[in-house]
Amino acid sequence: MKLDARIPDGPLEGKWDKARFELKLVNPANKRKFEVIVVGTGLAGASAAASLAELGYNVKVFCIQDSPRRAHSIAAQGGINAAKNYPNDGDSVRRLFYDTVKGGDYRAREANVYRLAQVSNAIIDHCVAQGVPFARDYGGTLDNRSFGGAQVSRTFYARGQTGQQLLLGAYSSLMRQVGMGSVKVFSRREMMDVVVVDGAARGIVVRDLVTGKIESHAAHAVLLCTGGYGNTFFLSTNANSCNVGAAWVSYKRGAAFANPCFTQIHPTCIPVSGEHQSKLTLMSESLRNDGRVWVPKNAGDRRSPAEIPERDRDYYLERIYPSFGNLVPRDVASRAAKRMIDEGRGVGKTGLAVYLDFADSLKRQGEAVIKEKYGNLFDMYHHLTDENPYKVPMRIYPAVHYAMGGLWVDYNLMTTIPGLFCLGEANFSDHGGNRLGASALMQGLADGYFIIPYTLGGYFGGAKLPKVDTSHPAFAPAEAGVRDRMGKLLSIKGKRTPASFHKELGKLMWDNCGMSRNAKGLSEALARIPKIREEFWKNVSVTGSGDLFNQTLERAHRVADYLEFAELLVRDALERKESCGGHFREESQTPDNEAKRDDANFCHVAAWEHAGPGKDPVLHKEPLKFENIHLAQRNYA
Amino acid sequence: MKVTLRVWRQKGPDQPGRFESYEAEVPSTDMSFLELLDTVNEGLIARGSDAIAFDHDCREGICGMCSQVIDGQPHGPDKAAATCQLHMRKFKDGDVITAEPFRAKAFPVVKDLVVDRSALDRVMSCGGFISVNTGAAVDANAVLVPKDDAEKAMDAAACIGCGACVAACPNAAAMLFVGAKVSQFALLPQGGPERARRVLRMRSAMDAEGFGHCSNEAECEAVCPKEVKLSNIARLNREFLRAVLVSPE
Amino acid sequence: MDTFLRLAASSIGRKMAVAALGLLLCGFLGGHLAGNLLLFVGQDAFNAYAHHLETFPLLEPVELGLASIILLHAAVTVYLKVTALMARPVGYAVQVSKGGRTWGSSTMIYTAVLILVFIVVHVATFKYGTRPSPSDLYGLVMGYLRDWRWAVFYALVMGGVGLHLSHGAWSACQTFGIDHPKYTPAIKAVGTAFAAAVALAFAVIPVWACFIKRGQP
Repeated sequence: MKLDARIPDGPLEGKWDKARFELKLVNPANKRKFEVIVVGTGLAGASAAASLAELGYNVKVFCIQDSPRRAHSIAAQGGINAAKNYPNDGDSVRRLFYDTVKGGDYRAREANVYRLAQVSNAIIDHCVAQGVPFARDYGGTLDNRSFGGAQVSRTFYARGQTGQQLLLGAYSSLMRQVGMGSVKVFSRREMMDVVVVDGAARGIVVRDLVTGKIESHAAHAVLLCTGGYGNTFFLSTNANSCNVGAAWVSYKRGAAFANPCFTQIHPTCIPVSGEHQSKLTLMSESLRNDGRVWVPKNAGDRRSPAEIPERDRDYYLERIYPSFGNLVPRDVASRAAKRMIDEGRGVGKTGLAVYLDFADSLKRQGEAVIKEKYGNLFDMYHHLTDENPYKVPMRIYPAVHYAMGGLWVDYNLMTTIPGLFCLGEANFSDHGGNRLGASALMQGLADGYFIIPYTLGGYFGGAKLPKVDTSHPAFAPAEAGVRDRMGKLLSIKGKRTPASFHKELGKLMWDNCGMSRNAKGLSEALARIPKIREEFWKNVSVTGSGDLFNQTLERAHRVADYLEFAELLVRDALERKESCGGHFREESQTPDNEAKRDDANFCHVAAWEHAGPGKDPVLHKEPLKFENIHLAQRNYA
Repeated sequence: MKVTLRVWRQKGPDQPGRFESYEAEVPSTDMSFLELLDTVNEGLIARGSDAIAFDHDCREGICGMCSQVIDGQPHGPDKAAATCQLHMRKFKDGDVITAEPFRAKAFPVVKDLVVDRSALDRVMSCGGFISVNTGAAVDANAVLVPKDDAEKAMDAAACIGCGACVAACPNAAAMLFVGAKVSQFALLPQGGPERARRVLRMRSAMDAEGFGHCSNEAECEAVCPKEVKLSNIARLNREFLRAVLVSPE
Repeated sequence: MDTFLRLAASSIGRKMAVAALGLLLCGFLGGHLAGNLLLFVGQDAFNAYAHHLETFPLLEPVELGLASIILLHAAVTVYLKVTALMARPVGYAVQVSKGGRTWGSSTMIYTAVLILVFIVVHVATFKYGTRPSPSDLYGLVMGYLRDWRWAVFYALVMGGVGLHLSHGAWSACQTFGIDHPKYTPAIKAVGTAFAAAVALAFAVIPVWACFIKRGQP
């Protein structure tokens, strides 16, 4: 496997311009001869499908939920970044680029990130035109707030529901194309395989979750917009249906998987309340704009927060990182919380939480202002915990949130399988080792609205793609493989539920490959995972039938994927012996317990190639060149 | 604490259904109602029985996937919350909790508590959008929107498309859903150019899907997990009248 | 014509028809009530008013119009109700209001049936009943109302009318999109007040006739 990132040469500012000029065009009349499959309808998928259909391509869209509007982008709360510089506070494309590369701990491609910053402004323009009700000032202009990892206010927001509103914007554009007949939506479908013909992706096999029917769909290109793999950890902020299946099966068909160990642990989630917990709920990072994070100064202080006087409180983020304070990047905030808890200064019943306190802001700005900014988040917290955050400080704890790693893609968002593209969280490209707040929405929409419409045309213009339909001999074996797998899961009739395996795997991953990792724990996990997998295939119980709606079967299929993928994640974490962004190796830290990168040995993208069942995957390294940013140890103090 | 779940079980769309009862131990009142269903399902699977099918996804009240009528109320007894945000602390020991699917002709049952709400998507495809192609937008600050209008548009846009309004409406009407979308765009200058066309087309799609009429009983507003207001239906009526009477559409 | 057809073909337009006809009927109720109140003035005043009405040259067309309004209001509602039943072919085992419905709104169909029955009885007895003398409608009315059973029936039905209007008056405004955060509370209050006033004023007559006026000439 050869990794060719296809980054245009020339100065950073001109690369995207150059690429767009050099990418071949497809004339309008010919566009309708091309079929495009889009899997997933989050920000990346919906925006790509709508934009491609507007251009004239025939688009088929697949989503796992009952409606494309429910993809998990909907849960993003805080906002979307753009380099508009409306507040006149010193922002620019270059600064957004710089902050993103630095926030990602220098493990992202300069060219990709610069392009992201360049198109960020057009995203805001387009979303406003779609009727996204962003927050506004009294004069009618758009309002901004600040977010972690930045010293400028560049985040646009729609209350605490920005992801929802941006997704509904993209969904509305998608539905417009559905109404016009240029997009066909297939909902409640799960992608089970990608079909490669003559080396190029030419279709997919899906399972109709309602009827259990295995269907084939052929196309000239396949776009995976299937989100991240956070649910490998069982407990995460991801929705229940988020899974690694589409990316994983593509990996097995030849797409390289990059940096799987880069998982983001989000600092502001609602703490776990018990064994029964099925998912974790995130509270937007924007809360850190007005909330102050603290723990008691003394370990074992079990007084209620109101009883702890100022002098016995440690506002540790403000103390350790005076210039960024509560707005340090997520990985830094999460690890700091973990350190406090490890010191025995955690709060709440379980001791696995820190306080996020709004008392000062409520006093300074009044309840009405706080309510306007965060009303729905406060309500959500109140609902979940039965505690009123207007009266008592919130309790927060880090939780698995976002996958920076994903399928390896070149500058044109194409994986190592020609014709198979990967957009949004599912790819690895823009966030390096850590994603900054409000950048996921930006990347998903940048990929879908403003990048793939050009790069897909470039691929079609340059590739020879003979006619292929589902009668092609490559489809039948793929379908048969899926049927076999479903049949096998149903036939084991063991003793343990799919969820129990998922829980076991998740606990192992969180303990050994979570917020802080070491060689011993990782090696243990690497040895343990195949054992769990082995037991799974002997002892899982999947009830119900394969040709009816069967959520147990869906779950079992996804858990089977996690049980394979987790091994790759751990292997990557073991291989990357530096601390970097969300990946913290205890062996590699500064005297102040901050992450210590090792640029001499690890300034690369780790892209893993599947070598076949039972064989160790092959590691390929794409070196990262920093020509515009000086590599430095991150410092938020 | 212990509760009894009375759950609607139905194998498929055209199959007959019936209630089945399940005794359930509730280990913690911090547990959500859906987590209790998870627990019941774990027991069912372990015993080799088919698990109860129910829709859920984000489990934080924003995706709109969860449905169910719990003890006679869509999304259960809590105000301004989706089913996934219902916690067992709302119930007491010995309670019998009845869970049924959303009932409407436009929402056929898929299995057990799962219904097909694609009718709402079809209504959206008839006009729930502003016709603007990617790349055609002017600068975001070129269109000024009064703060109050933006806030009202946001109130309407908060709809999560769960269909509880339909489930609660005595007439199974989708007026709050359609009203919210029509309102969002009617309140914003960007939505102006296709105001009439939008409301006319969405209205006819809504009727064609087999939703009922509005009798202004406000049950929709009362059950809406996002507290979308009845004023949006008034605005829908106004927009419709205006479109029919004065627009050239 | 096109406009009319588009309205008639839509659930919103049909509901607007019900609302418009309902508002017309509210107007009629106001007029009817004003006439009734002449009963308090006395036999001569009331009979003079009745005579004036009965000799009005366009009486029959107006009556016909009124009957059509009532029937159309009912017919469109029945049509909507049938489509609503079709919109939910399988009902709930348990259904509990979350606070949207009111007594008035949830009993609209029952109060409507009550009112329809009442209208038939009312017209049969008061319009086509036998008067003590051809020009003495007052005598006929008071004759009936002095019977406590009739008086109670009338008073109860008027309660039903009030309940119907308590939802109907505001609902009609909402259907026409007359809604504003500043004025809607006032509209609702006026609707409720109108309903209460109409019901009370109509109901006072049989009570007065039966229990106070009884025995007096």
